[in-house]
Amino acid sequence: MGSWEKSFLQFLDSPVRLGLAVLSAILLLFFIIRLGSIYFFLRLIFLNLTRNLVRTGLTAVASFMLVFVVTLVWTILWFLNLVTSEKSKDFKAIVSERWQIPSQMPFAYQGALSEGAPAMEGDFKVDSSRDAMTWQFYGATIDPTKRTRESILFFFCMEPLKFTKMMDGMDEFTPKQVEQINHWCEEMVKDKRKVILGKDRLQAINKRVGERLKLTSFNYKDIDLEIEIIGEFPESRYNQSGIMNRDYLNDAVDAYNRKKPLKHPLTAKSLNLVWLRLPETPIFQQVEKQISESPSFTAPAVKIETAASGVATFLDAYRDLLWGLRWILAPFILATMALIIAVAISISVRERRKEIAVMKVIGFLPRQILFLVLGEAILVGALSGTASSLGTYFLINDYFGGIKFPIAFFPVFLIPGDALWWGTAIGVGTGLAGSLFPSLGACRIRVSEVFSRIS
Amino acid sequence: MNPDSIVRVKNLTKFFTRGSEKIEVLEHLTLEVNRGEFLALMGPSGSGKTTLLNLIAGLDSPSDGVIEVGDKTISGMSETELAAWRTRHVGFIFQFYHLLHVLTAYENVELPLLLLPLTAKERKKQVLTALDLVGLSDRLHHRPGQLSGGQQQRVGIARAVVSDPDLVVADEPTGDLDSKSAEEILELLVVLKKTLNKTIIMVTHDPRAAARAERILHLEKGKLVHDIPAASYSYEPEPLGGLHG
Repeated sequence: MGSWEKSFLQFLDSPVRLGLAVLSAILLLFFIIRLGSIYFFLRLIFLNLTRNLVRTGLTAVASFMLVFVVTLVWTILWFLNLVTSEKSKDFKAIVSERWQIPSQMPFAYQGALSEGAPAMEGDFKVDSSRDAMTWQFYGATIDPTKRTRESILFFFCMEPLKFTKMMDGMDEFTPKQVEQINHWCEEMVKDKRKVILGKDRLQAINKRVGERLKLTSFNYKDIDLEIEIIGEFPESRYNQSGIMNRDYLNDAVDAYNRKKPLKHPLTAKSLNLVWLRLPETPIFQQVEKQISESPSFTAPAVKIETAASGVATFLDAYRDLLWGLRWILAPFILATMALIIAVAISISVRERRKEIAVMKVIGFLPRQILFLVLGEAILVGALSGTASSLGTYFLINDYFGGIKFPIAFFPVFLIPGDALWWGTAIGVGTGLAGSLFPSLGACRIRVSEVFSRIS
Repeated sequence: MNPDSIVRVKNLTKFFTRGSEKIEVLEHLTLEVNRGEFLALMGPSGSGKTTLLNLIAGLDSPSDGVIEVGDKTISGMSETELAAWRTRHVGFIFQFYHLLHVLTAYENVELPLLLLPLTAKERKKQVLTALDLVGLSDRLHHRPGQLSGGQQQRVGIARAVVSDPDLVVADEPTGDLDSKSAEEILELLVVLKKTLNKTIIMVTHDPRAAARAERILHLEKGKLVHDIPAASYSYEPEPLGGLHG
């Protein structure tokens, strides 16, 4: 199934949108049946908009810009909503340190945690070779004298072969790209120094695939590693990320401990997160019980939560910012759009009082006048909204490579396929809201009053 | 009741209120207009002639009295019923033409037909017939701005008759035209009456225009003061001093 077909089916996977689609189909049918008259009405609506091209153009540009901003804001909110929505099947759970952020656990925890800490017969055991993954974070700079955006690298240290099996966002890659990434991961197992980097990060540090770098860590003090860039992630959420074989980091920590009289301070704190893939909610509850009741994880204590819940917890730090985006910025922009359309349509109606009166004299019903005026606003809103969302989709995704808004583990947000209908919906909605009062005013124009003023 | 009459107005009263003040525009007016008759309504400003025209055409509702047009009593109709009734039964000609400037002559004439259950083919036939009747077959795709005042008024007349209404009402149809164009428009109204047997009610200040009608009603202060055949109406320009009282 093609991505467009998939997007279309996803689009219909909502009662509201399905209802809208059915309504559109009925309207289309009505259009076809009364094609001549409808064509004339649409033409009249269009011609009315051409009366003052500057005004219509400015209204459309304003709507275009506002839809652009709303699309960006909604993209971030949509994505965060997606990742914080609980799934009931095949979901991931995160095990982390219970009382501290960032989570820092002994690496020794990983063996038992990766299996879900089964202790007794009948306990659920996670297949750790397939359904578990550990994360260790390694941050470093390529220039020991400074730590700037152009010199720092951040690595997820993990088992390379788990990357395409366990990480999110694999649907952003083509099968051929996944195959290529798997090949690089196999190389990383053979040579632990090899790493993969995202394209934006590579560009930022001005390095290329094949280059070797010496890293000076800022979180693993004195654990400085030499790496070789083996591959570059295709355009995706991993544009800013790096992947390293966890064994390389752990071997380096072990080597440090062998050479130095004191152990490295992060020796017992090198495991940051353990990810488990669980088939269903009851299993999650059982594994949660196994881990929380296990005496092996007391110093420090650990907790397990669903990935959605984990991300939501992490996003708590941004709660006010996200609340502001969702409930202040976006509604304010929508209200501004409606207001701009309302002003433009009000002026237009005021200028056409006589014409509207003549149409009523001829026999146009108030509701037909209402639809005519609403139609103008909806047409401007829908056209500019659609153009804006299409433009935003291709400009942001294809040209800028997503919205650079680093929050949680998400350095970049790509405009989703759903955004293609957001613009149209926003345009139609704000057009409708903005033109409601002017159009009601238009259909209430009293013919005798208009003509008595003229005479 | 005259069996030939198409418009019957009985004891018609219309008043407006401004604050606590009651302004009586028409007082207990009774009249009949025959089918196929060309009637001129005359009178000084504020005499109520346009109000009477609006009431007969279903643009306004009376304060009291009954208005019957054809077999319908329109004085009790709702706004929606009146709109639907006007589409089929009344054609309007305005002093300032009031064409939609974004539409061509053809589209302006087609406008009333969009409200009727006609096919595109039927609409086209009627529009072309109406424009041919007013002599504008060669100006179908001109916009109002590209036509002279007289031509615009002819488009207005074509729009008024395109749906084949029983009644055509005209409010000062020559008021904004030069004398030559005015003459052409009046001639066209006479042709409409004679060839299509349309009933025409025309409000005018112009005695020359009124002289083209068959009957003249003269209103003063909301009352009918003269009802005379146009043939017996003699037009004598008022002396200049009269204007100054």
